[in-house]
Amino acid sequence: MAFLEISSLSKFFGTLPILNDVDLSIERGEFVVFVGPSGCGKSTLLRIISGLEDTTSGTITIDGEMMNNVEPAKRGTAMVFQSYALYPHMTTFQNVSFGLRMAHSPKEFITERVRQVSSILQLDKLLDRRPAQLSGGQKQRVAIGRAIVREPRVFLFDEPLSNLDAELRVQMRAELMDLHRRLGTTMIYVTHDQVEAMTLADKMVVMNGGRIQQTGAPLALYDDPDNRFVAGFVGSPKMNFLPARLAAVEPDAVKLEAIGGSGTASLPAPGLTAAPGPVEIGVRPEHLHLLPDGLEATGLVLNGEVTLVEELGAESFVHMDLADGTHITIRAGRGAARPAGQIRVRPDLERALLFGPDGQRLRGGDGRKG
Amino acid sequence: MNRTSILVRRVTVWTVLKWTVALIVAAIAIFPIWWMINVVFALPGEPVSLNPRLWPSSLSAGIDKIHMILTETEYLRAYGISVAYALLTIAGVLLIGSLAAFEFSLFDFPGRRLLFGVVMLSLMVPTAVTIIPTYLLTSRLGWLNTMQGLVVPGLASAFGLFMLVQFMRAIPKDMIEAARLDGANHLQIYWHVALPLCRNALVTLAILTFMQTWGNYMWPLVISTRPEMYTVGQVVGLFNSPLSHHTVDTVMAANLLAAVPPLLFFLIFQRKIVEGIAMSGTKG
Repeated sequence: MAFLEISSLSKFFGTLPILNDVDLSIERGEFVVFVGPSGCGKSTLLRIISGLEDTTSGTITIDGEMMNNVEPAKRGTAMVFQSYALYPHMTTFQNVSFGLRMAHSPKEFITERVRQVSSILQLDKLLDRRPAQLSGGQKQRVAIGRAIVREPRVFLFDEPLSNLDAELRVQMRAELMDLHRRLGTTMIYVTHDQVEAMTLADKMVVMNGGRIQQTGAPLALYDDPDNRFVAGFVGSPKMNFLPARLAAVEPDAVKLEAIGGSGTASLPAPGLTAAPGPVEIGVRPEHLHLLPDGLEATGLVLNGEVTLVEELGAESFVHMDLADGTHITIRAGRGAARPAGQIRVRPDLERALLFGPDGQRLRGGDGRKG
Repeated sequence: MNRTSILVRRVTVWTVLKWTVALIVAAIAIFPIWWMINVVFALPGEPVSLNPRLWPSSLSAGIDKIHMILTETEYLRAYGISVAYALLTIAGVLLIGSLAAFEFSLFDFPGRRLLFGVVMLSLMVPTAVTIIPTYLLTSRLGWLNTMQGLVVPGLASAFGLFMLVQFMRAIPKDMIEAARLDGANHLQIYWHVALPLCRNALVTLAILTFMQTWGNYMWPLVISTRPEMYTVGQVVGLFNSPLSHHTVDTVMAANLLAAVPPLLFFLIFQRKIVEGIAMSGTKG
């Protein structure tokens, strides 16, 4: 049994389903990130783990202990809130030590614990300040300190960096990774920012519509998504989806036509079984290559009109519309495309993925291609 | 441009008008109090003579009058009763109001809206309507001429609850949940988180309750019929009664003594009162 096990968990607010039959296993010491769009149920799942929210059905166990009816404070979890939720009338010391004081711990013990925590988080010089006298990053560290001081079995983070500016967010992200490395405690982190999820997670849990869409290592999800939602959600810029028609299935490949309007291609997909009909080809922006003017190209070539070029310095994102109106994005080098006019693009079909009309991935016999 | 010209430019007709109105209002408000002081600290008959004086003429005469009132009448005991009545009412109103506001504003329970609605409805009912039933109830409890008879009926303050609910609603839910996760129980959350966060509202409510209780004439008059349970208001009333043999300056001295605590309270907490009322207005 895993360290934290969630089985067949559902949650309804009245008749409204928020979480639907969620199963999840988290190992001790893992950094798990719940990621998904707003309203997908990720924060509710986190709150259920913390005990702040009840389940409608299903079970949660931590370290083999059933947690469903255990009080939040007795679950061995500690949470860092998006708003930090620091007590404004208390100093940093009082904020950090609040949990210990509520548990009537001895004074010397409290002082010692707060001293340890403040040295880990570099809060030593801020212990006498109130939250109003702290910067965003400092408040965040105090909130983390308040969680650490209780030595929880599981840390829960509910979008803790979303109130910080971009630069501070990157810095705090690095600090969180470092903290996880030093403490080795299980951490569960909720975010809607997939870049944050990719950089922090050992295991990423992609959620949508109250269901877990896929679980796995960030790069595994990036390279090998189970469905169109995960493929589109993980990665920035998003994966491109080209509408096409599956014309025929052969032992080693599938024949596709009407790609982006009129293109045809043969996609290597050994062992794939699917009925002919409409499909979508998923191609990451970095797997689309701009063709220089005048160069003869073989295979599938997509023609379209440039609508926007975003120059980011080292690279650029070229946005274009195909003849059938499909909008695609290409990751290209600096100054790679004209700001307007017709361009040609060749997709790397070896790296392309195939999705059925229900949004599920069509896989070949090896489980990866297709 | 030098300083003088800036000052000259700022003085407009509008400014002069504003200041004039403010000074007139201040004079109207201050004059009765000043007149009271003037009458007390003067030789008997002087301020009400044909040629009255507008400033005190004899400090010792005033002190003598105050001394006489405090030693030769029941004034001091009434003072004690009034202070106890005010302080106990403040403590009770704050405790009951804050506990109720804590539940109403931060937690959900069946019938919450209905109950709150009923309490708020009681704000619309004038005191004259409730005073007789309250008297009968207090009387049946055997609380006539007792401190609990004075205090208890005034403890459930709908206005206080309304004011504190407005404040506590502004406390983020995250903060209450963080305290729960930190292991604080319901009462600890109330005591360590909710109460300190609405300190300003509590101070304002305490001051308003003091003003109201100290100046309350009707309820003590109904409930305390024995002289040993008279409040300051009642005793001052006796000084003013038609059959009283006290002269105007003695009556004024009694009035002045009664007015001192609320005046001091107001002067000390003036800023808090304004802040508190302004906040309860914007947060509603």
